[in-house]
Amino acid sequence: MDKAKKLFFVGFENSWVILREFLEFLGGSANLLHASVLALFRRPFYFRLLIEQCYILGVKSSSIVFITALSTGMVMSLQFGFGLERFGGKLYVPKVVGLSIMRELGPVLSCLMIAARVGAGIAAELGSMNVTQQIDAIRALGTDPLKRLVIPRLLALLIMTPLLTVFADLVGIFGGMFISNAELFIHPDFYYHEAILSLKTSDFLVGIMKTALFGLLIALTGCYYGLKTEGGTQGVGQATTKSVVTSSLLIVVSDFVMTKLFWIFERK
Amino acid sequence: MKESATKRPLIEIRGIHKKFGSKTVHKGIDLDVYEGEVLALMGGSGCGKSVLLRMIVGLEKPDRGTIHFNGHSIEKLSEEELVPVRKKIAYVFQYGALFDSFSVRENLAYPLREHTNFSEKEIEQKVLTTLDQLGLKGTENLYPSGLSGGMQRRVGVARSIIMNPEVVLYDEPTTGLDPFNTAQILKIILKLKQQGTTSVLVTHDMHAIFSVTDRVAFLKDGQILALGTAEEIKNSKVKEVSSFIHGEAY
Repeated sequence: MDKAKKLFFVGFENSWVILREFLEFLGGSANLLHASVLALFRRPFYFRLLIEQCYILGVKSSSIVFITALSTGMVMSLQFGFGLERFGGKLYVPKVVGLSIMRELGPVLSCLMIAARVGAGIAAELGSMNVTQQIDAIRALGTDPLKRLVIPRLLALLIMTPLLTVFADLVGIFGGMFISNAELFIHPDFYYHEAILSLKTSDFLVGIMKTALFGLLIALTGCYYGLKTEGGTQGVGQATTKSVVTSSLLIVVSDFVMTKLFWIFERK
Repeated sequence: MKESATKRPLIEIRGIHKKFGSKTVHKGIDLDVYEGEVLALMGGSGCGKSVLLRMIVGLEKPDRGTIHFNGHSIEKLSEEELVPVRKKIAYVFQYGALFDSFSVRENLAYPLREHTNFSEKEIEQKVLTTLDQLGLKGTENLYPSGLSGGMQRRVGVARSIIMNPEVVLYDEPTTGLDPFNTAQILKIILKLKQQGTTSVLVTHDMHAIFSVTDRVAFLKDGQILALGTAEEIKNSKVKEVSSFIHGEAY
């Protein structure tokens, strides 16, 4: 009985710590976003840093997004092809692949990969700068870490995640087309017609709007944990892990919420 | 002391209180820093010397009390309002805090690019002149990881003084350095003093304290236990001060 009680209290304490940390994260990241939005309209503006971050966070992520999207499109084609073939529905493969990549898998999987690569990178970079007093140095030299470090990353991901998603959508659909032709003997013209031309503008926009939010969440989470880092190299490691886990969870959860919301609006 | 009495205080610290969680760091600190002097803050580890130094440049906020610079209250200023103050008060970090993704040239050019309208040619000239003054000629293309600890500190000093500040705050500038680099740093402090720059040093280095400082403040238990000229502090009859200076346990 004593052991059970002890386990209950340990479990309760752990849950409380997790809840408290999550509430701290919500409050802290909301503050960070608020301060960043206010700082966005104050001089100086660092356009060069924004371009640099667009390249580092966006362009350099294109290879992992490419591989992820291509594999996803190919797997989807195979799975749906063999599954639907049993019911004589093989010809629906292009439509199903196109729709699911455009609305769900393109945005979510691309952003999960970006969260892993870029979210970790942001948290590690800012965390290292924090523990080596480089962020204090930026302040002591009369400049604003928000303007130099946070805002360029927030804007860069806000711009680059939708662009990477468009790229992922195209690559994914192409991957599906390749496998459909090679394994399911669906002609590319038919695939193109069914997969692309039967999609509505709203299918494309839903995916793109989601990714703008995902990009913001990845950057905000990375910056929050990076700027909050303490305790040397171990702290940097913890910040990196927390950043990746939190931003991945936020992407998955917010994807559901947004899908539900879009679904309600689209039905009206 | 006589000299200080005739000068006006450039920095006035009054009734500073500071707590971090349950740990009380400052319990009512009053201190004046006079124009052109070199003041050392001395005391055991964790007595709040560095926190006090950080407060002067606005990197920490006091819980209570006031800090005036040039007659203007700075303790409640926002980060944006602190920018003009930070152009006049430079801070030298303990380990240099150099931007590790920037070369030495870019580190030194950083404040000039941010706060002046100098052309790239003028910036380059100023960077090379400052590096030369600190015996760092030829290091401009190196990255901080390629510099020794002593050189990193000197580059940190160079970056802090490149804007010709009125006050330079040094956080343990010579701790852990070899005699050559220590002498170089002390030489810079003395040179700046001759040019009229005010300096505040946090240090445990007795040689540094007694060779470059005009006055010394000894902190203990969140308060200033002793304040006087380097000579007065050296001959202090206060048990904690003399034990600290002579390295005896008390």
